[in-house]
Amino acid sequence: MAGESGFDTFVDDLPRKWWFKLLANWIVIPFWAWLRPTPPLPGGPRPTPQPSENVQRMMNLVMPLKDKSPLGRAYAAMAVAQNVNEIFAGLDNVGTVHFARFVVIGDNLCMISVYDGDFTNYIRDFIATVGSVFDAIMDLVEGGEAVKPCETKIDAFIDWIHAHDLFQAPDLPTDLFRLQDAARGVERKREPGLLRSLSREYILQLNANPNFSLGGGYRAYPGFSVAQVRQKLGVGW
Amino acid sequence: MVSVAFDRLEIQGNILRGYRRNLVRHLVLEVRNRDAARRFLGVAAAGGSDDVPRITNEAPGRARPDAFFNIGLTFAGLRALGAPQDTLASFPTEFVEGMTRRALKLGDFGPGAPEHWPQPFDNPARVHIVASIYADFKASLDKAQAQVAPAFTIVGVLDGRSLPNQKVFFDYKDNISQPRFQGIDDPEQRRVDEPKDPLGTVLLGHPTRFEGLEFGVPVPRELGFNGSYNAFRVLRQDAAGFERYLTTAAERLLSHPDVGQLLPKGEEGWIGAGLDRVGALREIVAAQMCGRWRNGVPLALSPDSPLPEPGVSETNFDYPRGSTCPAGSHIRRANPRGGQIVQRIANRTRRLVRRGMSYGPDFDPKLPDDAERGLLGNFIGASLGAQFEAVMYDWINLGLQDPDITGSNDPLLGANEPETSWFDLRLRNGGHIRLRGFPRFVWARGGAYTFLPSLPAITYLSKLTG
Ligand code: HEM
Repeated sequence: MAGESGFDTFVDDLPRKWWFKLLANWIVIPFWAWLRPTPPLPGGPRPTPQPSENVQRMMNLVMPLKDKSPLGRAYAAMAVAQNVNEIFAGLDNVGTVHFARFVVIGDNLCMISVYDGDFTNYIRDFIATVGSVFDAIMDLVEGGEAVKPCETKIDAFIDWIHAHDLFQAPDLPTDLFRLQDAARGVERKREPGLLRSLSREYILQLNANPNFSLGGGYRAYPGFSVAQVRQKLGVGW
Repeated sequence: MVSVAFDRLEIQGNILRGYRRNLVRHLVLEVRNRDAARRFLGVAAAGGSDDVPRITNEAPGRARPDAFFNIGLTFAGLRALGAPQDTLASFPTEFVEGMTRRALKLGDFGPGAPEHWPQPFDNPARVHIVASIYADFKASLDKAQAQVAPAFTIVGVLDGRSLPNQKVFFDYKDNISQPRFQGIDDPEQRRVDEPKDPLGTVLLGHPTRFEGLEFGVPVPRELGFNGSYNAFRVLRQDAAGFERYLTTAAERLLSHPDVGQLLPKGEEGWIGAGLDRVGALREIVAAQMCGRWRNGVPLALSPDSPLPEPGVSETNFDYPRGSTCPAGSHIRRANPRGGQIVQRIANRTRRLVRRGMSYGPDFDPKLPDDAERGLLGNFIGASLGAQFEAVMYDWINLGLQDPDITGSNDPLLGANEPETSWFDLRLRNGGHIRLRGFPRFVWARGGAYTFLPSLPAITYLSKLTG
């Protein structure tokens, strides 16, 4: 490019230099995050005005295991195996769940699901059906005992699950400005964030919120509820 | 099962049973002077005085007062009264956030968005207490208001009234179906055959319909126990727009090939004396949108005429497969009763106690006007999230409970837009005609989530220090 000096190239290449990465991760980002506090954004899908625009939603529940060792992961695997039939039967009774599965990723037990409609209704109805079964899972995860028994601490349990559901980055990247500003309690009505500061906002959010879901995800049949699919297939809703 | 240690006299009135008075005045109060407010609450809960109205309890007895007086507090109000941090932290998230921050869940966007709410709801931080006075005469309202004024800053006054014949705007008879509670004798509900609801449906600290599941009781227990939550809603109703749409729909239906399945020629008189075909079709559309004819007769029992055989109940019906009440109608969405729903375990778990009165000037369908009028609604339950919000979001505005209506909103009060709205009219042969193009007829003009404390809880609040 005309007029590009050797120094421009040097600056552009900075993010690739090992010493710069070190500097950024240990000094620049922490300092910057302190200067510009960025609360972790809440997990789960954001509501749309018309719920019908977003019938199917994703839950990416990440629950850090207390015991971060192969043994700890094995306990998690056992707890799931022992209760999974009841849990799946419970999900069936909730009636609004398309898919759900448990996975262990790193030292986290994760439950990943696709459900219809409101998150809190999904979780509440689920706990109302499976009762104390989920307590066995909560025993193994950090902070789990505070919301146990799930049945009698249902409001706190729902809040806990919500807090451990991954933040879902907006499908339109620039929407992050608005979300982040709203979370900081500042109103930025007129002047939209400069496009080039977008990656900064991402860095700050990723700093506050190490795991996140990139966008709302792919849906093969968007807008259809479980019951509509079941009805079409004649498998009873 | 009624829990032990349940004393009706400790509950505020108008929760378990309604008052049925002619007039209501809701005073929206700000606590400016903590001490004055606490003193007022203390006297009010202890039976009142010459200067302070008495809080009406569940059983006012034979000595019916001139004015019934009750209060609800917002989260901001609890804080303003000086409730300690651990108490504040023990309230559920939706109540802490307050109604305005739940706007999208409630369909409060577009014209109903909180940005458009007039005073006092434009500034939720100042909405601390909603004090409601029920009486038959205006003088009683004025008297109670004058008693409240010295202790608080009155930031809003909303007057409502019962319309004749138990009607609400849009000309429907309302206040027919209500939950009834185990252990509570409500003379108005003696002939209702719906299953009784456990007390925990509406009062904190009692068993709920969800087996084993309990809604959190805020701490200390003295404050939380026997409390309840209220979604207080100021809902504007576009009566002229509603009547206009009924005519539009009826005129379109006239030439529909299946209209004979909706109204066979010659049966207009069954719908109402002297009605022409358009007039009769208008009533059919109105009835199907609500699930009741405008005179209250349920479609589930009398699908073809609002003038049923004598003895048809207003309240005792269910929604079996093939029910003659459209799945998308307002009452079936708001309470699917024992009918099959997608959320298999949710039948009868999202019950709401409704205590509403109309506001604004009379409406004359022959001289339609656009004056502001509507409903001052109270939607009461033990969990705003599990009841009011759950109904508003999944049932009223999404129709998730039945695959045949999923993706459509409640025709009467949903967040409808003409481009996308639809509603299936039920035909006599079981088929349907889909109505489209109707706008939103109801939108919010204000409101607040309030906590309805028991009487001992009000006394507790009056004794807060600091
Ligand atoms: C201005 C707005 C509204 C109007 C004009 C209206 C009108 C009506 C009418 C005419 C009935 C039938 C009378 C009866 O069964 O007692 C009814 C019932 C009912 N409405 Fe509404 N309503 C409004 C708002 C709401 C809202 C916001 C909700 C709650 C989310 C709601 C929930 C109910 C329930 C639960 C029933 C009783 C259904 C049953 O148990 O069968 N309504 N409404």
